[in-house]
Amino acid sequence: MPELRIGIVGCGRIADEHAAQIQRISGCTIVGVCDREELMAQQLADRFKVKGCYADFDEFLKKAQPHVVHITTPPQSHYELGKQALDAGCHVFMEKPFTVTADETVDLIRRAEQGNLKITVDHDEQFSHAALRLRQLIRGGYLGGPPVHMESYYCYDFGNQQYARALLGDRSHWVRRLPGQLLQNNISHGLARVAEYLQGESPAVTAHGFTSDFLKEMGETEIIDELRVILDDRRGCTAYFTFSSQMRPTLRHFRVYGPHNALIMDHDQQTLIRVKGSRFKSYLEKFIPPWNYARQYGSNSILNMKSFLRNDFHMKSGMKSLIEAFYRSIVEDKPVPIPYREILLTARMMDDIFAQLGRSFENTG
Amino acid sequence: MTVGNSSGKETSGAPGDFIIDPRDRILITGANGFIGTQVVRILAEYGFTNLVCLARPSGQSTALEEVIRKSGVAGIEIHRGNLLSREDCRAITEGVSVVYHLAAGRGVKSYPDAFLNSVVSTRNLVEACAEKKTIRRLVSVSSFTVYSNLELKSGAVLDETCAVDEQPELRGEAYCYAKVKQDEQVMELCRRRGIPYVIVRPGVVFGPGNRGLTQRVGIGTFGVFLHLGGSNRIPFTYVDNCAEAIVLAGLRKGVDGEIFNVVDDDLPTSREFLRLYKRHVRNFRSIPIPRPLSYSLCWLWERYSGWSEGQLPPVFNRRRWASDWKGNRYSNEKLKRLLGWKPRVPFAEGSRHYFDHERGT
Repeated sequence: MPELRIGIVGCGRIADEHAAQIQRISGCTIVGVCDREELMAQQLADRFKVKGCYADFDEFLKKAQPHVVHITTPPQSHYELGKQALDAGCHVFMEKPFTVTADETVDLIRRAEQGNLKITVDHDEQFSHAALRLRQLIRGGYLGGPPVHMESYYCYDFGNQQYARALLGDRSHWVRRLPGQLLQNNISHGLARVAEYLQGESPAVTAHGFTSDFLKEMGETEIIDELRVILDDRRGCTAYFTFSSQMRPTLRHFRVYGPHNALIMDHDQQTLIRVKGSRFKSYLEKFIPPWNYARQYGSNSILNMKSFLRNDFHMKSGMKSLIEAFYRSIVEDKPVPIPYREILLTARMMDDIFAQLGRSFENTG
Repeated sequence: MTVGNSSGKETSGAPGDFIIDPRDRILITGANGFIGTQVVRILAEYGFTNLVCLARPSGQSTALEEVIRKSGVAGIEIHRGNLLSREDCRAITEGVSVVYHLAAGRGVKSYPDAFLNSVVSTRNLVEACAEKKTIRRLVSVSSFTVYSNLELKSGAVLDETCAVDEQPELRGEAYCYAKVKQDEQVMELCRRRGIPYVIVRPGVVFGPGNRGLTQRVGIGTFGVFLHLGGSNRIPFTYVDNCAEAIVLAGLRKGVDGEIFNVVDDDLPTSREFLRLYKRHVRNFRSIPIPRPLSYSLCWLWERYSGWSEGQLPPVFNRRRWASDWKGNRYSNEKLKRLLGWKPRVPFAEGSRHYFDHERGT
C-alpha cells in the first residue's frame, strides 16, 4: 500500500480514538490536525507527534495535503467540511452521524462519486470481531434466507458521566442544537445494523419517543432519551429498534431472525450466539438447547481470550478494521466497506424518526 | 502573625500585608467545588466583602450557598457561567483585583476534555484579565501531580524546585497532562500579558466532601485493595488548610511569580492512614504490595501496553509509580516563610472530620 497522508479535523475526544487507531495501521501517516481552537489542535499534535497543526481548514487542506480527511467535529459541521474536503480532492472518513439530514447525505455521496473519491462513516461497531463473524454467517446462508425480523438495542448510560452533566446543564451544547438532539448523536450505530439487512430503499418508520422520568426529575423536558421504533421494509422484513437510557443492562444487542435460524450478537461482551430454528422432541427441548448455549458462550469466551492473547482485541478494534478497510478500498480502488445505500438508508430512517418525534412533541406541547 | 475570626479558628492572615483592600473585587472560579467553597468561606472570614463566585451552569451550589449564608456577607455573588465562553470570562473579570482560579477538568479520563477544561478555559480567563487594567494577581491552582519524581531518589525532599514532568502525556493520566499544560499556559501568557501570578500546587487535599482513598495509598481497581503506599508519607493537606494557603497566595505582598506547594505538617504514612481509615470508616481486605513489586508490575504493564499498541491502556507505568508510590518527603517551608501560612486544622482533627463524613456517606 503506498503511503497515505491522513488529516484529522476536530480535535476533541473522538479524535483521540481515530488518531490512536490510524497510528496502528501501516502505510499511513497523520500529516496534519486541525481545530478552530488552536490549543486543541496543538494538544493532539503534541501527544500523537504530528507535525502539521492548523486552526484554519483551508490552510490545513492546502499545506498538509492529506489524501484522506477524518472529520471528527460536531455533526453540524460535517456537511460543510465534507464538501470542502471532497472539493479539495480528499477522501473522507466521517465520524457518526454522517450528516444532520438525509439531503446532506445524498449530496455528499453524490459529490464523492462525481469526484471519483470515497467517503464512509464511522459505524465501527459493525466491524467488531463479533459483527464480522455475524456478517460472515449471514452471507454464508446461516439464516436460511433473507432476514425476516431484526431487533436492535442500543442503550445509553447517563450515570454520572460528565457528558450528561454538561449536556443537561448547558442549554447551548451542540447536541441540543441537533434536530434529533441526544438521539441524533447516538442512534446511528444501532440503526445502521438494521439498515445493512433491510431490503427496501424507503422503509416505513413508526417512532415513539419520550423523556424518561430520570431526566424529568432533573428538570429536563426537551431531550428525548427513550425511543422505540418499528421498521418495515415492505418486502417482508421488519425490525424493532430500541434506544434507552434507563433500561438495565445497557444493551447493545443485535438479533436477526431468518426463515430457519437466528443469530444474537452482544457488542459489549463480543459474543455471537447461533439459535437453531429446529426443535427437539418433548423434554429434550428443555435439556439440550441450554447446554448448547452454555457451550457457545464458553467458546465465545475462549475466542475472546485468544484474540486478546494474539494482541487483537483492542477496545476500538472495530474502528481499526473499518479504517483499514476504507484505506484499502482507496488504494486498491475497491468498493467502500460500508455501501452508500446503507449510509443513505440510515440517514433517511433518522430523518423520519426525528420528524415524527417533532410532530408528537408539537402535539403534546 | 495570626488573627482571630468568627469561626474561632486561628488564621494566618495579617491584613496590613495584603495587596488589596477588603472591598476590592475578588473572583473565584470553581467556587462551588470541594476547595472553592472553603476559599470563599475563608475570604469572607478575612473580611473581604466583594466576591464573585463562578459556578458551572450545571453544577449544584448547595454547599456554596450555605457558606455564603453562614458568612453573613451581602456582597457575595454567584455567577453561573462557563470559562470556555470568552464573553463569560469578560463579564466575570469586570472590575476584579484578584482572581482565584480553581476550576479544572478533574476526574476526567479523556485527554481532550481535561485539556479543554483546564488549558483552554485558563487561556480565556487570562486573556480576559489582560483586557482589564484592574487585575493585581491571578492565583492558578495546580497540583502535585505535575512533578516528575523520576530522577528524584526515594526519600528525597520534593519541593518547589523539583522538575515538572516534561512528558506528561506518558503518565497515563489526563489530569496530569492538563495541569502541566495549564501551568505552562499561566506562566507564559501571564508573563507576556503582564499579569502578576502565583501558582499553588496542593498535595492530596482531604476533608468532608472528598470521597474515597487517594491512589497514593492504594487502588481497588482489581477487585481487592492493593496497598501500594507502605511506609510512604502521604502529602495530605486538609481542605481548610489548603484553602487558606490559596487565599494567602492571592493576598500577600511580594510573592508574584512564585510557586507554592501545599502540604500539612504532621503527615501520616500510608500504612498509618489506611489503618485509621479501616478503624473509623469501614474495614476491608487489603494486600500490601512491596515497593520493588509495585515497581516491577508498573514496568511490566508499561512494556505490555507499548508492545500491544494500547490493548491495555498505559495507566500503570514507571512515571506514575514514581509520582505516587516511590516515597518522598515534602516541604511546606516556603509556604510558611513567604505567606506566613500555618495549618489551622491539625491532621488528627482533620482526619476525624473526614472519617465522620466518610462513615456518613
